[in-house]
Amino acid sequence: MAAASAVREAGRRSRRLFDIFVADVPWTVSSKELKEYFSQFGSVQRCQLPFDKDTGFHRRYCWIKFSTLQDVQNVFQKDSHILEGAKLTLKQQSRRRRSQRKNQSE
Amino acid sequence: MAALLSSAGRLRALCLRLLPRLRPPATAARPPAPASRNIMYQIRFLTVAPQQEGSVKEEPISEIQTRRTWQFDWALNKLDNSVRKTGRIPKTLLLKVFHEICKTGCPGSNQTLLLLRSCGALLPEVLSPERTELAHMIWDKMKELGAVYDTSHYNALLKVYLQNEHKFSPTEFLARMEEANVQPNRVTYQRLIAAYCNEGDIEGASKILGFMKNKDLPITEAVFSSLVKGHARSGDMKSAENILSVMRMAGVEPGPDTYLSLLNVYAEKGDADSIKKTLEEVEKTEGYLMDRILMQVIFSLAKAGYPQYIEDIKERIRFERELIPDAMNLCLTLITHGFEDISFHILKSLNHLSRDNMDQGNFFLQHCVNRDMPVNKLKQFCSELKEAKMHSAPLPFILRCALEANKSALAIDVMKMMKEEGLPLRPHYSWPLLVGFQKEKNLKGIFEVLKVMHELEVEIDTETYTDYVFKNFADSETARAQLKKNDCLFETVGLSVAEIRYEAAHGRLNNVLSLLSSASTPPIDIRQFRNSLILGFKSSNDVHLWSKITELLYKDERYCLTPPGPTEAVGYFLYHLIDSMSDSEVQAKEERLRQYFHQLKKMNIVIPTTHYSGICRLLDSSQVPELIKDARLLSLKKTLSTDNIPESAKSDVSALEKKLEKRKAENQPITDVLKQLIHALCEEENMQKALEVKAKYEPDMVVGGYAALINLCCRHDNVEEAMNLKEKVFPKNSPVALDTGKYIALVEVLGKHGRLQDAINILTEMKEKDVPISDRTVASFFRILNAAATRGEVETVNRLHETIVNLGLAETAVLHSTLITVHLEKDDMPAALEALINCYKKYGKILQLHNIYCRLIEKGDADLLQKVSDFISREYGDMMALYDLFFAFLQTGKYKEARKVIETPGLRAHSGRLQWFAKKCISSNQMETLEQLVELTQNLFECDRDEMYYYLLQLCENNGDWGKAEAVWTKIQEENVVPREKTLTLLADILEKNGQVVPFEVPKVRHEDTRSLSTSNVEERKIRMLCKKNNAKEAYNIFLKMQGKNEFHYRSYGTLIKALLTQNCLEEAMEVKHIAETHIKGFTLNSAASSLLIISQVRRDYLKDAMAVLKGMLDSGLSPTRPAVIALTQTLAEKGDLKNLQALKNMLEDITKSIGVSASLIANAIALAHTKNNDLDAAVEYLEPLLISGAQNPDQAVRNISYLLRKVSEEGLEPALEKFGVMAERLASQFGIYRPVTDLFLQYVSADRVDDARSLIEAKKIKTLLELIPEHLDMEIAYRYLMRCYELDGDVASVKAVYEKIKAKNIQLHELSLKSLAAFLKKVGEPVPFTEPPETFKFYVEKWRKRRLEAS
Repeated sequence: MAAASAVREAGRRSRRLFDIFVADVPWTVSSKELKEYFSQFGSVQRCQLPFDKDTGFHRRYCWIKFSTLQDVQNVFQKDSHILEGAKLTLKQQSRRRRSQRKNQSE
Repeated sequence: MAALLSSAGRLRALCLRLLPRLRPPATAARPPAPASRNIMYQIRFLTVAPQQEGSVKEEPISEIQTRRTWQFDWALNKLDNSVRKTGRIPKTLLLKVFHEICKTGCPGSNQTLLLLRSCGALLPEVLSPERTELAHMIWDKMKELGAVYDTSHYNALLKVYLQNEHKFSPTEFLARMEEANVQPNRVTYQRLIAAYCNEGDIEGASKILGFMKNKDLPITEAVFSSLVKGHARSGDMKSAENILSVMRMAGVEPGPDTYLSLLNVYAEKGDADSIKKTLEEVEKTEGYLMDRILMQVIFSLAKAGYPQYIEDIKERIRFERELIPDAMNLCLTLITHGFEDISFHILKSLNHLSRDNMDQGNFFLQHCVNRDMPVNKLKQFCSELKEAKMHSAPLPFILRCALEANKSALAIDVMKMMKEEGLPLRPHYSWPLLVGFQKEKNLKGIFEVLKVMHELEVEIDTETYTDYVFKNFADSETARAQLKKNDCLFETVGLSVAEIRYEAAHGRLNNVLSLLSSASTPPIDIRQFRNSLILGFKSSNDVHLWSKITELLYKDERYCLTPPGPTEAVGYFLYHLIDSMSDSEVQAKEERLRQYFHQLKKMNIVIPTTHYSGICRLLDSSQVPELIKDARLLSLKKTLSTDNIPESAKSDVSALEKKLEKRKAENQPITDVLKQLIHALCEEENMQKALEVKAKYEPDMVVGGYAALINLCCRHDNVEEAMNLKEKVFPKNSPVALDTGKYIALVEVLGKHGRLQDAINILTEMKEKDVPISDRTVASFFRILNAAATRGEVETVNRLHETIVNLGLAETAVLHSTLITVHLEKDDMPAALEALINCYKKYGKILQLHNIYCRLIEKGDADLLQKVSDFISREYGDMMALYDLFFAFLQTGKYKEARKVIETPGLRAHSGRLQWFAKKCISSNQMETLEQLVELTQNLFECDRDEMYYYLLQLCENNGDWGKAEAVWTKIQEENVVPREKTLTLLADILEKNGQVVPFEVPKVRHEDTRSLSTSNVEERKIRMLCKKNNAKEAYNIFLKMQGKNEFHYRSYGTLIKALLTQNCLEEAMEVKHIAETHIKGFTLNSAASSLLIISQVRRDYLKDAMAVLKGMLDSGLSPTRPAVIALTQTLAEKGDLKNLQALKNMLEDITKSIGVSASLIANAIALAHTKNNDLDAAVEYLEPLLISGAQNPDQAVRNISYLLRKVSEEGLEPALEKFGVMAERLASQFGIYRPVTDLFLQYVSADRVDDARSLIEAKKIKTLLELIPEHLDMEIAYRYLMRCYELDGDVASVKAVYEKIKAKNIQLHELSLKSLAAFLKKVGEPVPFTEPPETFKFYVEKWRKRRLEAS
């Protein structure tokens, strides 16, 4: 039973998994602009840019998830990423486990 | 008892026997505990000690000092960092440090000094008067807090005065110092001279100079510099200039201060030539002049109104990187004093210092915004900065400043400018403004922002509405109405999406449905609101709404805009819906999901196979395999995909059967069809038929069909057939293997039926055929073993375990532990112990030890206890054995024995073990045990007492028991323990939260500390919060996630259970209760929660459970709530359960009054139960005497029978109604007891059986009745009948009286009544006091009938 729900949990986790963590996001952009920017490297599945509901500003960092690993590699082919005059700081998130992804038929 | 005593004796022997074996760092080597501890703590912790005595009396002072040193360092670091990096201190930082220091309560001398010193030139962004005010505020506040001022403080204040050019009386200042008995020193005098000189008061300065000379104090450069200024300001420039030669004569060389002073006075006079001359002279003689000084001169020129000379000075400054902070401060100061243009000029000199194309001038723009610079000015700066390529996006930057400073007007203006310049404007720019207005509850502001954004052609997006607009209103509908009313309703897709999302996320599915079905809703892809909808589904139990919404999504093309179409979209939605539910949620909603699937099926909704199989996997992992059958209804089967509508499984089977027969008849191959048929039958769970088909077409059966059949047989417990099939088709020696799940199913069913050898063979085969083993398989192994252990089947457990382990299929501690569990289940302690030892020998693990110890102590089995102790001490040493014994004695409440164990000389504290047990106590809310642990370890060598008390406080916190916490505080003092900061903080927290005064200084908590001490509580608080907000589901989800990681407070369990029950989540509540019970010994629900539990159980028809809960409550002295009793009683009655009703009656006998349940309730219920059992005579026999005696005995009166009558009437039990009617009339006519007959009348009236009502009573009865009539009944009808009765009786006076009463009560009579009344009055020759309805009597009768018909 524990194992079964662990399987489920792992499935959820892997879906939550993002590819890239982006810091120093300028305040002017929203996830729409981020998605647009990163779309040049591949198909962006998800972009999560958390906002502080208490101030109305976002927290200057976001997570990006691409459809394929190739997209991610494309992003890191580029030396620096500048969005609206601000230099973004990118960090690749730990590798997704392919085997897990296969398990969930999405 | 005797056995226990004797065992205690034996145990003492055990301890004694263990003694000599302990290594001897014993008693002699052990210093007296308190002193050693305090020394240790003094070094380690910077806390205030409580009252201490004797030799350790000095310690608190040293601790206070250390703490202050530390705090001073902290504050100093912050301010110092700021000064070093930027040459200034932001006002907010200064205030923050100030408040922090205030919070600690006792400011140190150097802290105060630090704060005072910061109130001058280090605050360039603040105007001078405000800075002085700040200094005074700090001065007074610190004094109030007990700061003692010495000369250094007065001097610091003087410096601030000078820097701020604050006018004050130096003599008064001296007098104040004298008053405070503080001696002025040289610095004081120097600064007082400077103060006089600032005012051009040479006489005053000379007076002070005289003091200094009298005291033989040296006259320094600073004094001469002041005198330069003094003379100049008194108008005597000559003397001022002369001071330099005086200095030299006195042997003091003029330095930078002197030159600055001279340059400043020239600047004040606007004497550019002299400045130039002086500068050149200095350059000649000194060779340099500091750029910093030049910058000061610039400020002086600006202040004095000579900006024209600034450029010349500026050119002399080498703007290098090192100068940036000073230049920035000059700019800021200039802005503060209103010289923003000069400031901007300086700023532009920094142009060449730009690095990496970074934007320059942010500090400038920000300060401009803070100082409320006019928009035009800002605009000008922005465009110039841009032109100079110093800043790439100045307008967005000032927008951000305006938003951060909550300057909405400016922000809006800036956005307008941005639009003019063609810069993009985005919806989220409005969010800080909306947040600001939301905090102020300023709806007007919100509307304004929306309007402006609309004017600026920014399409307000969904997030804006859901996160920042709707929150201000009760729901999205109200929001819409208000937006419309205030002219800011802009119909966009974003708004529609927001409405759907918002209503869905708040669980208002009915609103979602109406939004989705509304014709005005634009096309929206389901993905836009899928997540919110999932949330909504999860918080609702309304299967009908689920289905309706799903149907809309499926059939309304507006919601499925993108390929591949609704099938895919809805399938995806369903998958995610189920995926987002926790296992227990799925389990709790199993029945609802089933209905949901069936309804979807009825709506002809199908989903793709991939999603369907994903859903099946989820359902399987959530342990609801039964639901898979139902989910299957939705699967889009390829074979039937022609019209996208699958036929039901049934027709599937029969179609296949026909097909099969046809093929057979035609002599065509049938294997495929046969396989399909077998699968279809398996899906239908029709084992009988499947086996028949198999038997009939045996030669054509293929492997896959057999495998499905085997699984089916296992599911249906048909072990024989399963094994037959298996042996036949998948014999051991065949290379073909079943999949893991089917093997497991076989092992399970074989184990259950005692076919151990077969089960072992299957396991062996699994190994031989190399079947893949996953975590899930291992979990299944555990399930199988544990089931056998619970059944007490030792051999099964042992042999299966042995096989599993020996074959190397799995090997985990949990699996091993079942070897011991089985003996514990059977209460066979020798065997359990042997299993424990074997486990250790074979697998190197000690399992279930604490349980075994406790069980042995409870049983008083000293021999075995000795044995297990011997074993542990042999393997792990005496110390471990003693701890195990100690904990077991504590756990079982044998504190005396525990004390003996822990006082074994030489025993040392083992923090890890102590922590293990303490945490166990905390999580299971065993306060007494924990207290004993703390108490008994008091003299344990090296025991961290603070830590032990911290555990106690943690439990106090969990229970919100401030009284106990306060006692702990006293104990801490009594024991002379110096608590750590975190302990004090926790204690303070408990007291504060419970509204108590904190009797000590609360230490300032560092961030990390708070975090670490509350990590475990964060989630728990969240759970409580969510419960409070009625979001029990989410709370439950968090709870499940937390399971295992953390244990919960006693109270949190209760809160969560209550919240779940309130939302009718019985299963979840029971799960939490179960967990609570396993974690907390003697966990019981309180009265309210138990009552809710009863209600929930009644709702689900778990009446037996409900009765048990009620009994438990009463046994433990809790009284149930009225609704709980009523619900249970009435439901038992409905079921005709006389036995339980009788039991209930007995149980409640004494408390009916106190809980406000009327005596009639049970009587009605019992009568109804008889009725339900078709025993009307019994009902009447039971009820009638009660009603008769009730009339005479008002104390325990059973008077009304309305409930009974209502029930029988509602359910159309006509004979019963008649029988009770007869009884009621009999009671009225024979005994003058009118209440029953009144009830009957009322029942007739409310059931609209007016004729029956009329036939029942005469006028006088209706009259009494009218007094009894409840509000909600139709008064008109009642009065109409009363009047009608009087008419029939010919009682004119009464008729008239009633009419007056009707008029007085403002009851509208029907025209029919008026017509009838008029006819009556005319007949008896009375005047008609109203206009007689003109039509005929018949007309009104018709009209009346029609109305009745329409109404019904």
